[in-house]
Amino acid sequence: MNQFSDFRLNAWCRSGAVLALLLGIMVARPAGALPLFARQTGEACAACHVNYPELTHFGRMFKLQGYQLDNGKDLEMISDEGKQILSLPAIPNLSLFIMSGYVALGKALPDSNIPGAKSLKDGIQFPQQVSLLYGGKIAPHFGAFAQVTYDSSADTFNIDNTDFRFADTVVLPNKTKLTYGVSINNNPTIEDPWNTTPAFGFPYVPPEIAVGSLAGPVINAGLAYQVAGPVFYALWNEQLYGAVGFYRAAETGSTSPGNPITGSPAPYDSATSNVPAGNNPYWRLAYEYDFDRYALEVGTYGSRFRLYPGGGNALSGLTNNYTDVAEDFQFQFIGEKNIVTWKGTYVKENQSLDASSFLGASNPSDWLSYLSTDATYWYNRKVAFTLGYISTKGSTDPVAYPSAPTLCAANTCGVAVGTPGAFPVGVTNSANSNPTTNSWVTELKYQAWLNVQFTLQYSHYTKFNGGTNNYDGNGRNASDNDTTYLLMWFAL
Amino acid sequence: MKIKQMTILAAASAAISLLSASAATAQVLQTPLATASPAEAAEYLAYSKCQLCHGPQGHSISPIYPALAGQKAWYIVEQLQAFRDHSRGDPFARGIMWGMASQLDDTQIAALADFYSKQTPFASDPAPFLGSYIAGQVAKGKSIYNEGIAATGVPPCSACHQGDAAGNDQFPRLAGQHAAYLIKQLIALHNGTRVQVVMNGVAAPLKDEDMKAVAYYLESIH
Repeated sequence: MNQFSDFRLNAWCRSGAVLALLLGIMVARPAGALPLFARQTGEACAACHVNYPELTHFGRMFKLQGYQLDNGKDLEMISDEGKQILSLPAIPNLSLFIMSGYVALGKALPDSNIPGAKSLKDGIQFPQQVSLLYGGKIAPHFGAFAQVTYDSSADTFNIDNTDFRFADTVVLPNKTKLTYGVSINNNPTIEDPWNTTPAFGFPYVPPEIAVGSLAGPVINAGLAYQVAGPVFYALWNEQLYGAVGFYRAAETGSTSPGNPITGSPAPYDSATSNVPAGNNPYWRLAYEYDFDRYALEVGTYGSRFRLYPGGGNALSGLTNNYTDVAEDFQFQFIGEKNIVTWKGTYVKENQSLDASSFLGASNPSDWLSYLSTDATYWYNRKVAFTLGYISTKGSTDPVAYPSAPTLCAANTCGVAVGTPGAFPVGVTNSANSNPTTNSWVTELKYQAWLNVQFTLQYSHYTKFNGGTNNYDGNGRNASDNDTTYLLMWFAL
Repeated sequence: MKIKQMTILAAASAAISLLSASAATAQVLQTPLATASPAEAAEYLAYSKCQLCHGPQGHSISPIYPALAGQKAWYIVEQLQAFRDHSRGDPFARGIMWGMASQLDDTQIAALADFYSKQTPFASDPAPFLGSYIAGQVAKGKSIYNEGIAATGVPPCSACHQGDAAGNDQFPRLAGQHAAYLIKQLIALHNGTRVQVVMNGVAAPLKDEDMKAVAYYLESIH
């Protein structure tokens, strides 16, 4: 049995043990049969969430105050001076998310082995994803949200969104409240409590069986789980929020290659692509105003990432610099029977591609813009309808986005370019070397219980990789990449 | 680039020191002594947990959560006990307060009630851009509060809650309460998810617009 199989076996043993523990908890606490934070706080999911993962005002406060609010018994220890030195939740706050999905594409993809043949048009992922989550208080002022996810398409366990926090709240001399803290996390914007920023932004659970478009801004989860760093934040009077932090390259998850010489985790070398150089700053400013049943937010956020292209090139000298500046807004109305939410974000990314252009792999500079907006109406927390629009635009770059259709050779699709027998399949390239991709997303949700949810989602592309018809120069249209996606989501 | 990073780090540490400095002059959360008195323990609970919704001195910022500053102690005791034994069953009670109150004992409840009843009531802060709408509601609400609605048999609220709605040893304080919270409670009393025999009867004939008017009037007086 090779090392990889051993890892998987161990991972399954570990997950089995955790599952057994979870079942034990559920038997022990039938009255609190709601996931994770609900178990800790004794509160229903709806206190914190409009719908997972979209937070209410209460959820935002709970997150920024370090996932502290608890209501269960703690294991405690005191010093000789009578001070607490341990206050540990007696029951660990664990949850399991199980998602299974069915996806049908607008038109079948070309077969990667047989020229002219087609793949299946649809597929089921059962499960698509299983996530184990720990969330809540670790000690007074210290809390965490940590997620480990099994990804069925990669057949691996990976570290997912992880956010460790210290937070405190003080009353200022003018009787207003100031919450401040630091979040150490692995995904830029995960520290943010609104659902306009990318880490917990729309679309929340996209289909995995889908054709990925050419480009997206770096802050848009481009480096999720491959970086880590501290973000310092403060919230005044539950209204004005500011955060500043930085991220460095981080080895996370089993998909990272580590260092090929030692076989150990990083430091990275040139075998890895797009490696962050040094400290990369991130910032956020937002204002929320709550009145009646409404919560309104406007804000701005951004980052500047310097990346070594790597992928065979030394991790020194020139870098590619990505500067992202974004604006966002959120509207929430939470009524007795009706809930309406509307939110949006616009990111502008300027790319100064000194390293790639020196290597002849791109223009000297490029730009991207990303617009996402979505509105949802919930009736009775049972049925919801969502309409969203997502648009990525960018500069034309014949080197970075080659116009010739992608080639495939038997069993080595996308690698053996130019080898005998290679044939064009297209799909992922852009005939006009432009990354512009626009889509409409509609969703119908049925929530049988707050933790049992079914979603039917349809995404329609009006433009894909720069074109509407024959965008890849190989006969594929943007709408051929449409997806019909049925998702079943359980949380326990 | 190095200099820029240093600047950011310096700014972050300056912000943290500023926060520490302000913390020194403000009431700071501290880990409680195991030997704390009930009043000290209640204050710690109020500042570490209840403030998340109800604000540090019982002045909630989000108007869907009730302001507790200056509320009558007996009323807070009664409500916390009702949350704990599940006899108050409106949606927010179930969704939030059943959990929050489940671990409180009678001593803690009494001390928390005492703490909040001693805080100075705050003036509620309605949305400025709703000024003219609210002014109309306040005028209508004042009439309902003081005179009732003869046509539907709604008695004047002031008969029990007094003209100033400040509360006494039989009726809770309503003055200055957030309108959004009062509306939610009137709906719960109207449809019976919150059981309070007298108020269920009073709220039964109330229409949505009556509830809004009374709530905005009460929010406006303090």
